[in-house]
Amino acid sequence: MHSYVRPNQHIALRLPSGFTKLAQVVPNTAISLGKFGNFPTNQIIGRPFYVTYDIETPDEKDGSCLRVVSAAELHAESLLTEGKADGEEPDTNPDGTPMRTNRETVDDASTQKLTFEEIETLKKASGGSGRELIAKILDSHSSLDQKTAFSLAKYTLRKRMKFLQRFTVLPLDVSLLTNHLLQERDAARVMELRDESIGLVGCWGNVHHGGNTSLDDVVSGRNGRYLVVDDTGGLMVAAMAERMGILYPHDGEDHEEAETAEQSTATGIAQGAPSSRPPRRTPMSASGNSITLLHTHKQPNLTLLKYFGFNQDNSSETHPLYTNLKTVSWLQLLEPNEDIQYTDEPAIIPDGELALLKTSKRSQYHRKRTRWTRVQSVVNEARAGDFDGLIVATQMDPETVLNHTVPLLKGSASIAVYSPSVESLTELMDLYSAPSKTAYMNRRNELREQRQQESKDDAEDGDDDYPELKDEFPLNPTLLLASALETSRVRSWQVLPGRTHPLMSGRGGAEGYIFHAVRAHPTRKEISAAGNPSRKRRKVAETTSTPTADSSGVDVEMKS
Amino acid sequence: MPSPFLTPGTHSQLDSLALLHLRRDQTLPAILQHTSATETGYKEGKVTNTRFGSFPHSTLVNKPWGSQIAASKVDTGSRGRRPSKKRKASDLAADSTEVTDSSAPVTAASGYLHLLAPTPELWTASLPHRTQVVYTPDYSYILHRLRARPGSTVIEAGAGSGSFTHASVRAVFSGYPTTEGQTEKRTRRLGKVCSFEFHAQRAERVREEVHQHGLDGLVEVTHRDVYADGFLVGDAKTGTSPKANAVFLDLPAPWLALKHLVRGGEASPLDPSSPVYICTFSPCLEQVERTISELRQMGWLGIEMVEVNNRRIDVNRMRVGLQYEGVRGAVVAPRTVEESVTRMRMLEKRAREFRARQEENNINDEGEAKPSIGEAEKSSQDAEVDAPPLAPESDVPIYRQGRLVHRTELDLKTHTSYLVFAVLPREWTEEDEQRCRAQWPSNRVEERVNPKGKRQLKREAEQKEREEEEERDAQKDAS
Repeated sequence: MHSYVRPNQHIALRLPSGFTKLAQVVPNTAISLGKFGNFPTNQIIGRPFYVTYDIETPDEKDGSCLRVVSAAELHAESLLTEGKADGEEPDTNPDGTPMRTNRETVDDASTQKLTFEEIETLKKASGGSGRELIAKILDSHSSLDQKTAFSLAKYTLRKRMKFLQRFTVLPLDVSLLTNHLLQERDAARVMELRDESIGLVGCWGNVHHGGNTSLDDVVSGRNGRYLVVDDTGGLMVAAMAERMGILYPHDGEDHEEAETAEQSTATGIAQGAPSSRPPRRTPMSASGNSITLLHTHKQPNLTLLKYFGFNQDNSSETHPLYTNLKTVSWLQLLEPNEDIQYTDEPAIIPDGELALLKTSKRSQYHRKRTRWTRVQSVVNEARAGDFDGLIVATQMDPETVLNHTVPLLKGSASIAVYSPSVESLTELMDLYSAPSKTAYMNRRNELREQRQQESKDDAEDGDDDYPELKDEFPLNPTLLLASALETSRVRSWQVLPGRTHPLMSGRGGAEGYIFHAVRAHPTRKEISAAGNPSRKRRKVAETTSTPTADSSGVDVEMKS
Repeated sequence: MPSPFLTPGTHSQLDSLALLHLRRDQTLPAILQHTSATETGYKEGKVTNTRFGSFPHSTLVNKPWGSQIAASKVDTGSRGRRPSKKRKASDLAADSTEVTDSSAPVTAASGYLHLLAPTPELWTASLPHRTQVVYTPDYSYILHRLRARPGSTVIEAGAGSGSFTHASVRAVFSGYPTTEGQTEKRTRRLGKVCSFEFHAQRAERVREEVHQHGLDGLVEVTHRDVYADGFLVGDAKTGTSPKANAVFLDLPAPWLALKHLVRGGEASPLDPSSPVYICTFSPCLEQVERTISELRQMGWLGIEMVEVNNRRIDVNRMRVGLQYEGVRGAVVAPRTVEESVTRMRMLEKRAREFRARQEENNINDEGEAKPSIGEAEKSSQDAEVDAPPLAPESDVPIYRQGRLVHRTELDLKTHTSYLVFAVLPREWTEEDEQRCRAQWPSNRVEERVNPKGKRQLKREAEQKEREEEEERDAQKDAS
């Protein structure tokens, strides 16, 4: 929970221009906001979030230069107009015609009496976080009285966006980071992932905390193990981790503040803390509530996790992701014996010999051993499967990803695939469509019969591994149920009395589509569908007995 | 009992919820039981009948989630012919003894379903509607924006059909509360949903569902008119504060409830140590305007109103071509200009030949008309000969022919509700400020040292190690 600004945490600052700036709050330093001024970090550390400050001239006594802007002050304008709207309409004459229109306004730069240079000198001279300056600029506007209330409000707002030295401290979470990256940075790097898509993927992927008590583990095995393929630089992983309660460095902590008073009874806390906090934690060791990331290169790209205090290369042991984020490369998953890290076991050095080694050599030996055991366990665990969910946001062809990952899922596990554009997902929908499923099953039954005829003594029908089937179908369509495709977009509105309307402009770009489905365990036996036996269906039943593959294919079509 | 929504395990459990998936958008919720209190009379014990067959629960219990289950042959006829549906207590007792030796079900010739572990999404699609439901596109966004994360507490007013209840409990879930004694000190805050509903019957139904779904202790349902009585858990006046981090109001007049959602004192239902996020869900613009006006006066910040437009997309193959004669859903028309021209050329040619033949006949013997049927037969034979190759894509299987197209599904929800979001920062007093100033001196700004790179750190470590070793060597030499 983001209850106060912690030292060294990353935060976001909303500026008068509407932009956000991301910054790390290093104690005893200053944060510069460019033309909006700068301020020492110590003045926001420990303070609550969502507070708006004006940067003023430093206090003589203790040098504080931030003044909290109250909610009433922030809302002053809209509260004022609301008051007006309640009473009689101030903007209309008694006969109902509007009092002021822009009929008389002349497009002319001469209305502003202050010159650019004058404004510049005023900027340097005046304090009061730019409010005085804005008042002066408004004063020297010659045709201010000709403006309608709306255009005056707009004009003031514009000046404010330009000159006010004001900022709001916001907690940097996934939602804010997503919007920031999308609006102000390179959106393509995160596959133009929008906030609403993240929410939708999380829900359809059924990503949630796996439960914590050891009792649950006994009852129902390891819970909350998710598989993820992420080409968004770690944003998708961050979104999942946030939903699972393992993203923030303080996520594993006790409920802060309430506990600080009891810190004196430190022993009590140590005993009560979940058992997952041994003195020294091994990386990627969590059994449940974990994320397994499949990456395409030798190293995963998780740069965006730095905003949440997790650095891939040298992360702090206390970060929850240190134990709960596991990374496996595709090579390790599919052909582990080709991977050196997996196969090359460092030779065991007996303890006696080890003691004689140099410190550096010894630590190197230990590092290599732990890395090898870690890779072994993580890869074996991933290959064993039984994951609770699969989230995919990748540039690769999704069918190749699903072909290898869907078999690793538990029955009834949720699958969600994000793609910025629809084409790759329509292909996926087609591969899992009813006609594809029927064709797949018909072909498999055919092959099975063939094989049984070839080896009649073999009573047990062997494994359903038919190479011919793999040639024809890029993946097994019977493993997924209820596949669906959807897209969401959020539209923002301006709400003011008498002036409510959707915002005039927004961001275009990729629409963002989500494919979701549920993992099924089809039976080996043949079960035909029942229900509304129409004429058409009977026809199918008749023709499926005919051996030609083509005709049955046509009938499959007719059925749907 | 662990909830099948949160920790479903690997197999379906007795007396626990399972979703019977018939086909997409057709899912039946069912509590798996051997015998049923309300519907008796089946030899097989409790049975769920669907349009795809009958499924005795004994075939559903303790099966891996996601399994495909075959329908069974169940005698539904004789039961229906019983004279009276209401039976006396003595009959009931007799029934239950009869049921205990329930016979093993026999697999039917056709029909199946898939046994799925419940998720809030599937539940939302299959739950019994009592009020307007908050659907997945809306609640996914709302919960994301409300920062409902593991360990938070959510207030939900207007439990309604319970769709949002299930979604929010999943979002905040961070472990089951320990029931056996309060001896173990709770060090971590566990996520919780406090649900309020002013309709007595609906509140009771939600409470029942919460119990059936194993969510006891995670969801607290209160029957309450929140406009008048606020959000305290237990008694309206003396109850305890839920200490909520997020509030979701699905009420006709959310502005009337806002007066209870203020900071300060024991009576505040909000968490004093964190910002509180709110979302109101109203279908009309007038409601939104009043809510926002009230939020501004109450000092809420970051007020924003949005609507979520969600579209589900149908994908199918569009087949156009003359060769799709008789294939369902295909357009039998020329696919290319060439195909059209070829066909027309063929028809013209045929017409010309026909006319020529007719003229010939006219010349040969006027008045004696040829039977037109024979002619037609002949021309159709011609057509087969002249027609362009019927299946140009014949090497491609039919399920992969045609062009892949997508379109918005026919039933489109163009408006659900307007969502108003706002946040209330935590209270900050002058003492707090002074304490912080003492800890973090306001004017201390040090020159920022560039953080050391990995390589530099390594070099330093090696240096240190070398020094240590030298020191040790020196000691060794000394001894």
